Amino acid sequence: MTTAPEIQKTVLPNERWDAVACRGVKKHFGEGDARVEVLRGVDFGATLGEMTFLVGPSGCGKTTLISVIAGLLDPSEGQLDVLGHGHGELNGTARVLFRRRNLGFVFQQYNLLPSLTAAENAAVPLIADGVRRGVAVKRATELLDRLGMGDKAGVMPKVLSGGQQQRVALARALVHEPRLIICDEPTAALDHKTGESVMQLLATAAVAPDRAVIVVTHDNRVFHHAHTIAHMDDGVVTHIESNQH
Amino acid sequence: MIGLALQMLRADRAKYFAMILAVALSIFLMQNQASIMMSVFAMTGSQIRDVSEAEFWVMEPDTECFDQVKPVPASALYQVRGTEGVSWAVPLTKIDGYARTESGKLSVVTMMGVDDASLVGLPPRILKGKAEAVRERGTVMIDPGGANLLFPGEKDVIGKRVRIGSESLRVVAMSDASAPFTGFPILHMARTTTLMLRQAEERDTTFIVGAYKPGVDVAAVERSLRERFGLKALTAEGFMKSSRDYYAAQGIPLLFGLTIVIGLVVGTVITGQTFMMFVKENSRHLAVLKVVGVTARQFAGMLAAQAATVVFLGCCFGTALAAGTSELARELPFLRGVFLPGWVAVATCVALTVVTGVAVMMSFRTIQQLEPAAVFR
Repeated sequence: MTTAPEIQKTVLPNERWDAVACRGVKKHFGEGDARVEVLRGVDFGATLGEMTFLVGPSGCGKTTLISVIAGLLDPSEGQLDVLGHGHGELNGTARVLFRRRNLGFVFQQYNLLPSLTAAENAAVPLIADGVRRGVAVKRATELLDRLGMGDKAGVMPKVLSGGQQQRVALARALVHEPRLIICDEPTAALDHKTGESVMQLLATAAVAPDRAVIVVTHDNRVFHHAHTIAHMDDGVVTHIESNQH
Repeated sequence: MIGLALQMLRADRAKYFAMILAVALSIFLMQNQASIMMSVFAMTGSQIRDVSEAEFWVMEPDTECFDQVKPVPASALYQVRGTEGVSWAVPLTKIDGYARTESGKLSVVTMMGVDDASLVGLPPRILKGKAEAVRERGTVMIDPGGANLLFPGEKDVIGKRVRIGSESLRVVAMSDASAPFTGFPILHMARTTTLMLRQAEERDTTFIVGAYKPGVDVAAVERSLRERFGLKALTAEGFMKSSRDYYAAQGIPLLFGLTIVIGLVVGTVITGQTFMMFVKENSRHLAVLKVVGVTARQFAGMLAAQAATVVFLGCCFGTALAAGTSELARELPFLRGVFLPGWVAVATCVALTVVTGVAVMMSFRTIQQLEPAAVFR
């Protein structure tokens, strides 16, 4: 039985944000009457060796914020530093390569490629990085084994359960040993028990001294896995709590 | 990533096979129509090509193609033989007429009366019987298409008779004459036999064929024949080209060209459209790949590999189908002139590859415009 976490309020800005640091980050879409301010000066960060949760109601800007952190969207204003690289230092292909080598992703809908086996799906980041397919699949299979999916390595995603697919997605996020993992609602499509086991796996397999994990979630039943919880509302981070594990 | 791209392509079997089929049918249509057009134009020179010994053809100045029968004056043969630079020359008579078999089968036939002594004008290959047999008055050599038309179902036509006018001619040999443009049976016979058919006809020579002396200025001989005797002289190649041009001016290439263009357009539209649908339907997966760090260059390689696979397989199947059809047609007596030139096969495949390449580039643009952040939604 998991005990309720003890919550402590922290002071912004946080000097411990050595993996990701956002200061006054703004993002808008459209111009003129159609202009929508999605991020309105976000101060947020993630620390190596920790799991940081980003929580808040739908439409508050969580997805936009992680897209900005991942380099998939450009901030309109503000300072952004990801793993020692400020926004604007990397552009075009350099940014794609940086993301490929340093970031891992877990999505709400798993987003596995249906035509590839579990091991091939998990091996995609390695293959994209030029690792020979055979070697990449072997490494992915070993990782799947560690995640309790060794016997499913050759199976196509459509025959896997939601929890199993999310484990494969987790393997895909970890296989290239990235320094930052971004998870978008990883338990939203899973029942509580399966979600809990996925989060357990994330906490044990993904969290490492030289790696930060950011988890966007609505699911307060898994909050106890967080080291830090950043609450977001209406385009800003309203407060940050620290869990004492 | 190429391997993964091909795996993604093959996994969507419906679209994969639809694209291959579209390319294959397009290639087949283009190659089939192009090969028929090429074959038809090659047929316009069939009987010129069959007179393999002739280096030049002399004819009436108004003659534009082989099938126009405009006799030359009787004196023309001696005028040609007497021209400086001419090694030898013999008469060749071409007559179109009606032939009726003993069973009552009636057909228009093309009769070729060759020089009795030299037999210049007979096709180079004889399938049945002996070439010399046609020297006998009242005998003919028939081509396979003609035998099939006049004597349907008959395995051996040697000894059969055909009536032309009031004369009954006996078939003594079968030639391997090239398929004629007109599709009429080709009856080769000695010139004396043709004279027998056109008893009182004075102007009995249609062409004079011959060879130049070695090293002679061909243009000078042709000029001399034209200026001194008012005769038109063309090399065998020149006469084939003249015949080809004559029929080309009748709009035949336009009709075939239209079908070829339709084949190209339909094939590439279906292939391109299906390919773009494939990309659009996979946009979420492609966005995931974008997020995990697949570069634009890698995407371009993936798309190129997918398109190349489809085009290659489609071209192979389409070409095999077109070549197979040509081979089957070759077995039919009247379509034996149909062939698929290698350059037509290559050109159609290249054309389709280029146009499909444009469709792939449009698909690449779709991927470039994909919003990777959409995978979080």
